[in-house]
Amino acid sequence: MTAVASDASNRRGRSGLRLRRAAVGWGFALPFTVLFVVFMAGPVLASLLMSFTDIRSADLRNPLGVNVVGMHNYSRLLHDELFVKAAVNTAIFVFAGVPLTMVAGLAAALGLNSGLTRFRSLFRVGYYLPVVTSIVAISVVWRFLLQPDSGLLNSLLGLVGVDGPNWLFDTRFALPSLIVMAAWRNLGYQMVIFLAGLQAIPQELYEAARIDGATTWQQLRYVTLPALRPTLLFVGVIATIGYLQFFEEPLVMTQGGPLNSTLSVSYHIYNQFGFGNYGYAAAMSYVLFLVIVLMSILWFRLLRSEEGR
Amino acid sequence: MRTGTRRGVAVALAAVLALSGCGRDGGGGNQGAAKPVGEGKAKGDITVWAMGTEGEKLSVIADDFMKENPDAKVTVTAVPWDGAHDKLATAIAGKQTPDVSLIGTTWMGEFAKTGGLDVTPSDLIKKDDFYEGAWNTTVVDGTSYGVPWYVETRLLYVNKAVATKAGVTTPPKDWDEFKSAIKALKDKGGAKWGVNLQPGQTGSWQTVMPFVWQNGGDVAKDGKFTLDSPEAVEAFAFYKSFFDEGLAPKDLPQGALEPAFVKGQIGAFVSGPWHIGVLKDQGGAGKYDLWPMPTKQSGTSFVGGGDLAVFKDAKNRDGGWKFVSYLSRPEVQAKWYKTVNDLPAAKKGWDDPALSGDPQLSAFGKQLEDAKSPPTIATWEQVAAAIDGEVEKMCKTGLKAEDAAKAMQQQATSIGTGT
Repeated sequence: MTAVASDASNRRGRSGLRLRRAAVGWGFALPFTVLFVVFMAGPVLASLLMSFTDIRSADLRNPLGVNVVGMHNYSRLLHDELFVKAAVNTAIFVFAGVPLTMVAGLAAALGLNSGLTRFRSLFRVGYYLPVVTSIVAISVVWRFLLQPDSGLLNSLLGLVGVDGPNWLFDTRFALPSLIVMAAWRNLGYQMVIFLAGLQAIPQELYEAARIDGATTWQQLRYVTLPALRPTLLFVGVIATIGYLQFFEEPLVMTQGGPLNSTLSVSYHIYNQFGFGNYGYAAAMSYVLFLVIVLMSILWFRLLRSEEGR
Repeated sequence: MRTGTRRGVAVALAAVLALSGCGRDGGGGNQGAAKPVGEGKAKGDITVWAMGTEGEKLSVIADDFMKENPDAKVTVTAVPWDGAHDKLATAIAGKQTPDVSLIGTTWMGEFAKTGGLDVTPSDLIKKDDFYEGAWNTTVVDGTSYGVPWYVETRLLYVNKAVATKAGVTTPPKDWDEFKSAIKALKDKGGAKWGVNLQPGQTGSWQTVMPFVWQNGGDVAKDGKFTLDSPEAVEAFAFYKSFFDEGLAPKDLPQGALEPAFVKGQIGAFVSGPWHIGVLKDQGGAGKYDLWPMPTKQSGTSFVGGGDLAVFKDAKNRDGGWKFVSYLSRPEVQAKWYKTVNDLPAAKKGWDDPALSGDPQLSAFGKQLEDAKSPPTIATWEQVAAAIDGEVEKMCKTGLKAEDAAKAMQQQATSIGTGT
């Protein structure tokens, strides 16, 4: 009897304690939870609802007085010539820009990790500087570099007898110019991550490989890259997410021109919000969001497959 | 790599929309006559938003106003132009507006449609005091929702040395003379480009539409777009011909215009009064003449600038209108010109010797008599972007004027007027 009673009281005590603990836990979490629900989850949900209505900026004072249009905003996207153009531009930017940035970042990291020992910190700062520099300042400098008549790049090309194009105002060269600029701007960040990844690879692996007679190339291919897999995944996902939202470069450099050849999806969304087409722009944002999620899943599939097997 | 504040605004707005009970009720539209503004001096707090230089310097005028109205206290908040549109939109949505704000002329249609702007009281503000083109920027669906504060219009800046060398001594009168003058600037005057006309990109409609207006065309008539009218097509073809004949550059880098103009590499360009200051900084003062726009059926130019509006949710509506009315007085407009170089929207403001005595400025004053603004429709910015896009294709890729006009008309029609 006593045992049972004490057991029961114990249980009561324990559940009381658990309850108190939960209350304290929630108490601590409450400020964040409330803020998150009110300022993050709420608006996100509301913007999702908004994408199914025809809300425009003129409806601001009476946001409930709008018509529900179902999937119309989404189906409209397919017939929006500019959206399709922007999607293609963004795809080119991602598929050319991400590999370019990753290769450049990895190359810089490999260089700093092995050969360059004397001015290592100087190089590190040099590569990282563009990451922390304001895009506005960068755009000014790059516009000077890419000036058709007096720019540094075309002057150099002139020395070898090549008549350089008008980089930012030619439909064929504007987007590639921005891709190179974005790669230059972001490779410093990737280099830092890659450096950390490289330094975590045990030296014994290289020793063993060398004893087996592996060349430098083989070491890179069969030791470094496999060991860097998690780092590659991280860098790839981050770069893809960032590049899918490609926005600042065209905004400051070309305003989407010439002839919309540098218009990105994010820029198009920004314009549509500016025009006051809130419902339509929200729908576009969700499409972009969906693509980002899909691309991230793709990356995980691509680089996680080894462990799964 | 963020889509920035606009998305933020929309998200904030969306919060209001969380519970969705929907159905549109005919829309804003005509709001009837304005209530009269009370007699006597202004009282109480008056909050004012203004952008750019206007926002920084308005307190000078506000101090004078407070001397005249000792019971009133004007608080001016300077808002950067960049975020101004969204800030106003959010303020109207949240019903947390100031009493008075400066509003870009091309935003009036959109904001008036929200029902957030107060109707202009006709007992206090007289339409006839202002330039017609400027006044029309405040009129939405037949009702005025504000007062023009300052104006700008476009003229032709012409390099004097080049023009003299080319033997062009008087401003061209009609389109044919204009064309041959520009040709002469290039062929005889030694300029690489006869004229710079904006080949598309944001705001190019401000250079293109005057030609349409000169030809008797318009953006819209009776609530329907008329961008593919024969008058418009002819004007587009005329505009395009400057590019096809190599008289105007298609891909001038940013910032290259002014130095090239001062050096005589560009014979002429179309721009507003701010270029007087820009050219002065570049050492071009006194090296150019100002021509009025050429005439076809009319010699119409574009009029832009800023309007002042009082909000429906203003806490001190009467005080707000009194301040707006004060800013529209001729002597205050003239003082405002001396403070920030904004050209007066009130005709009498031009009687001040600082303005009427300056030949360059009076050229702008004269052009204002024949200047037009685009229709005040809620979707104007988007229609304008569509026009800009087609103008660019027309100037750069050889798209025919008819086809460009057709594409503009089709896009504008599908965008609609926001009603």
